[in-house]
Amino acid sequence: MSYNSRYHHTAVQLHEEHLIIEAAKTDPNHFAPLYDKYYKQIFGYLYQRMDDKDTAFDLTSQVFLKALTNIGRYEFKGVPFASWLYRIAHSELMQLFREQKNKRCINADIGDLRFICEETQEFYLEEYIPLLKKVISELDPEDCQMVELRFFERRAFKEIGEIMDITENNAKVRMYRILEKLKKAITSPKKN
Amino acid sequence: MQPKFNIDRPKVSDDEINKHKDFDNLVKQFKEQSINKAKSDKSWWKNNYIRYAAVIAGATVICTVTYTALFNKTKTQTANNDKTTTLKDQNTKTTNTKFINEPFEKIKVNNTSYKVDNSKGAEIKHPTGSKIKIPKSSFVNKAGEEIKGEVEILYREIHDQAEIIASGIPMRYDSAGKEFTFESAGMFEITGSQNGEPVFIKHDKPLTVEFSSTQTEDRFNQYFLDTVAKNWTYLKRDNPVLSPQQQPPNPSEAKQELKKLEQKYEPAIAAIPKRIDSVKVVYTKKIDKLEKPSQPNKPNKSSGRPQFQLDVDYKEFPELSAFKNAVFEIGSESTNYKAEMKNITWSSAEIEEGPDKGKNYILVLKLKQRVERLVVYPVLTGNDFADASKKYEEKFEKYKVLQAKRVADEAKLRAEMEAKQAAYLAQQQKIQEEYIKQKVRLQKEAELVITTQIKSGGVIPAITRVFNISNFGIFNSDHPCPRPNTSEEIQPMFVSNGAKEEIMPNTIYLIETNRNIVYTFTGASKMMIDSKIPYSMCILVGPNVYVVSKEEFARAVLKKDNNFNVTRLGSEVTDVYELKKAIGII
Repeated sequence: MSYNSRYHHTAVQLHEEHLIIEAAKTDPNHFAPLYDKYYKQIFGYLYQRMDDKDTAFDLTSQVFLKALTNIGRYEFKGVPFASWLYRIAHSELMQLFREQKNKRCINADIGDLRFICEETQEFYLEEYIPLLKKVISELDPEDCQMVELRFFERRAFKEIGEIMDITENNAKVRMYRILEKLKKAITSPKKN
Repeated sequence: MQPKFNIDRPKVSDDEINKHKDFDNLVKQFKEQSINKAKSDKSWWKNNYIRYAAVIAGATVICTVTYTALFNKTKTQTANNDKTTTLKDQNTKTTNTKFINEPFEKIKVNNTSYKVDNSKGAEIKHPTGSKIKIPKSSFVNKAGEEIKGEVEILYREIHDQAEIIASGIPMRYDSAGKEFTFESAGMFEITGSQNGEPVFIKHDKPLTVEFSSTQTEDRFNQYFLDTVAKNWTYLKRDNPVLSPQQQPPNPSEAKQELKKLEQKYEPAIAAIPKRIDSVKVVYTKKIDKLEKPSQPNKPNKSSGRPQFQLDVDYKEFPELSAFKNAVFEIGSESTNYKAEMKNITWSSAEIEEGPDKGKNYILVLKLKQRVERLVVYPVLTGNDFADASKKYEEKFEKYKVLQAKRVADEAKLRAEMEAKQAAYLAQQQKIQEEYIKQKVRLQKEAELVITTQIKSGGVIPAITRVFNISNFGIFNSDHPCPRPNTSEEIQPMFVSNGAKEEIMPNTIYLIETNRNIVYTFTGASKMMIDSKIPYSMCILVGPNVYVVSKEEFARAVLKKDNNFNVTRLGSEVTDVYELKKAIGII
């Protein structure tokens, strides 16, 4: 199973992006390439976690407005600008869900659930779907976010770490624990 | 509530996503926002380093303990003013907005209700010593008509870190794109209603709130919480008033010395950002004036597609003058081209600018009702192409030289600008350091005076902060502080039950226990801390509340242990007083 590589940048790409960011700090019009480059990704990230498309578009605009407003404080740390945008998006989402809990939604494809079974070294069976849905829905918000990033959005641990502001190793350890939980949930009913 | 789970939901098309992209609108919003901020924020930072010499930490602690013991145990009080008629406890949230989220189910900062006859006005004395002065006929309804009868005023005060957390009032302050956290000298929330309908303050009859604050330092500003813009609005510099019996010895002397210091340093510090901006403006203009060479268009060689020649009006299409001998070739994007077209005698043939300006054109052919539009390219063959290519190469070489010169000139100008700006920043830092040094000296001198006064049985200083309010809502007297960014970074993992269970927090409150500052984090995060400052933490996991004590926080930081042991607050804890004890501020 391959992971999404659109996030990864070469050193040259990172340098080019850095130059754009520095230019945008002095003139907001220079923010346009970043807006074009990341609009779809940020919308995808937000809409993945809710049902309401209009709200997702509104929130996307808000994320970019916040990014532009605060770009003066942005410090280049050798990672793509996207990681900063994702953190703003995450914060906006949390704010929304605190205010309107019913907005939270999880979206997955059948292939994603099959992928989880592969990772837990279990065969994929149709009968697992309701069980997986239940178990994932009951995960605490941070764990659920990990599952979405890893299995539903196919992101690498390095990227997950940068989005969640944790180390890559920490992301791996946490994911290992979550997989254990999921595996236990899948296999327990079989044994019973 | 568990989230809804969708399987195989239809994807949103790229077209639909692109339709919502509107960069011009984003820039417009950004500019409007910047203008609004500039209007509301009037250089609070001028006073950023003011530390008026009036308090010591010991006095603060004593004040907090005294305040808590006196006023927080019960809210059922009787007003000693004959113009107020009733007084009862309220748990209702008074601000009608989801922007303020009280995090606890049981631990609340309660409101006190006062009833005021609008025809008479009132002077309400709150148990903390604060006064609310209401002129007669102050209240109107939404139609602007004067209210008849009694108006209910709900009022509550927030004085310390535990109350800040329990109130749910956001303490982040965005000043022109820079984010700060407030250090609070106290906040209050006031609302008015009659029979459940909100009332409003008449514009020419503002209320006066004489807020009794235990923070006696003179370095705070007054702000109003704008729940629509979701940010605090700067009102004015706070000028606290000491009652005569609480005046420290020789306050005028200390104030005068402070004033002299302000007069000496503040203008110098304030001038630096303007100079930096001015340098930027000068160099941006210089950079803009640099010659911008335009890249020449490369001649096209025939690719063997169908061709034709036209009698072109070169005055109308001057860019075609370089292709006088050119023939036009039908572009591959012209899928409507058919071989029979060349045999038709068209009644008109026109050339319009093409989708790729200067490189291609649109040939419009008309015959009666039939109109055909073809994308065409001027092409050259044989010697014509060789000549044109030669000219192009010459022009392109010149272009490259000019472009390289421009890049070098721009880099040179930028380097000059950055060097000048860096010099100004260094100068500013030097002045600021000297300023702080002088302030600290003054502060220490004043602290000594107050300590002597307290030891000799003098009164604990308390201060009145006067607010003139013409609308209801939340007001504070606060000081914006940047997050610590010069010391250590921690990434705590929260464990309980002897490190056997890991707690995954939803919200973390990082509390400075010796100042009224609470930093809020959502989920697990890295945090910058200053290891010289004592901290504790309050953690929310769903409805459960955990605490990292001051001692445990210090231990974990000292041992560089990422595992922070938490203690769960039992469900029996319903009083903010218990939270104060748990986080170690009393």
